Amino acid sequence: MVQVKKLKDGSRQVILTAQQFDEITKVLSELAAKTKASTILLADISGQLITQRGNTEDINTAILSALAASDFAATSEMAKLVGEDAKFKLLFHEGEKRNVYLSNIGDNFFLVVVFDVSVTLGLVRIYTKKAIHGLLKIFEESEQGEDAGKIIDKDFSSMLGDMLDDSFK
Amino acid sequence: MFINWALQEINLKIVYYGPGMSGKTTNLEYIHSKLDPSLTGELVTLKTKEDRTIFFDFMQIEVGRIKGKKPKFNLYTVPGQVYYASSRKIILNGVDGIVFVADSQRDRMEGNIETLLDLENNLMASGFSLETFPWVVQYNKRDLPNAESIAVLQKKLNFFNVPQFEGVAIKGTGVFDTLKSIINLVVQHVQKQL
Repeated sequence: MVQVKKLKDGSRQVILTAQQFDEITKVLSELAAKTKASTILLADISGQLITQRGNTEDINTAILSALAASDFAATSEMAKLVGEDAKFKLLFHEGEKRNVYLSNIGDNFFLVVVFDVSVTLGLVRIYTKKAIHGLLKIFEESEQGEDAGKIIDKDFSSMLGDMLDDSFK
Repeated sequence: MFINWALQEINLKIVYYGPGMSGKTTNLEYIHSKLDPSLTGELVTLKTKEDRTIFFDFMQIEVGRIKGKKPKFNLYTVPGQVYYASSRKIILNGVDGIVFVADSQRDRMEGNIETLLDLENNLMASGFSLETFPWVVQYNKRDLPNAESIAVLQKKLNFFNVPQFEGVAIKGTGVFDTLKSIINLVVQHVQKQL
């Protein structure tokens, strides 16, 4: 499963294996093909972009996922204010040329689907729901990923320090 | 922290926190203006007409590959004004390290303390505490005539003795030292946790 580790101090660490990443990419490609969505993003609720499909050249997708995460977070605060105990599960933004459909995937992730107004919302809803089902299954599959400790070792920190010095001249 | 093994990416989230008008956005603007454009994305700022951040500022920086891995740093600021309390809580979601930008001016001390307590409350709500969480403090606006002495600021704000920096963010003084320090702390912290 996607390792969402709670560390000693309470912080959260999300680790995705290469195999999971491939499977996720497959699900998103299918969603893109079925809905003709122009852009699809999968992100983590803290706003970190995990993967993307479709036209991602003209859009700064790192920013889009950061904004979408806060959009989600803002509406869940809204939910609390109006007395809705659960979070709102989906958000829909309607434009003149483009629509944006956001839907959560479990507690830790969400999908952003950007599509042309000529595509009907119903179609997007049906296929997004199917994709979420597929993604949840991938997230649940038990496979132990490597530990962050294997990447972030002593060497790594000192090299990172040098690179930062180099970049921050 | 988010690690993607397929792309060999490590994503870390760093949040600039502090009272209104203390210079959080200015820190990000300076970093953005000085970094090579190949290392940084666009700086998004959601500001009101009065130059106040309404939701957050966001910028991503990359420093190239290290041992084949690609670290990415996502920098955020929070709105300092008291009435944006819920946006602040939201932005702290999944945070890996915090830069507390304090306003050195004598009459802003209350604001600094209040915001620091607000930060501690928000962290506690997610199960963290300033005592153990990676954070640094930047005493900004050192160039102003009514700036409080570092000794007093240290005593009132830096009770956990975290790394501290003197800043004049508008001129860039202390900005990169602060950022480097928080990145190092976060990386060390990740090592210690494992």
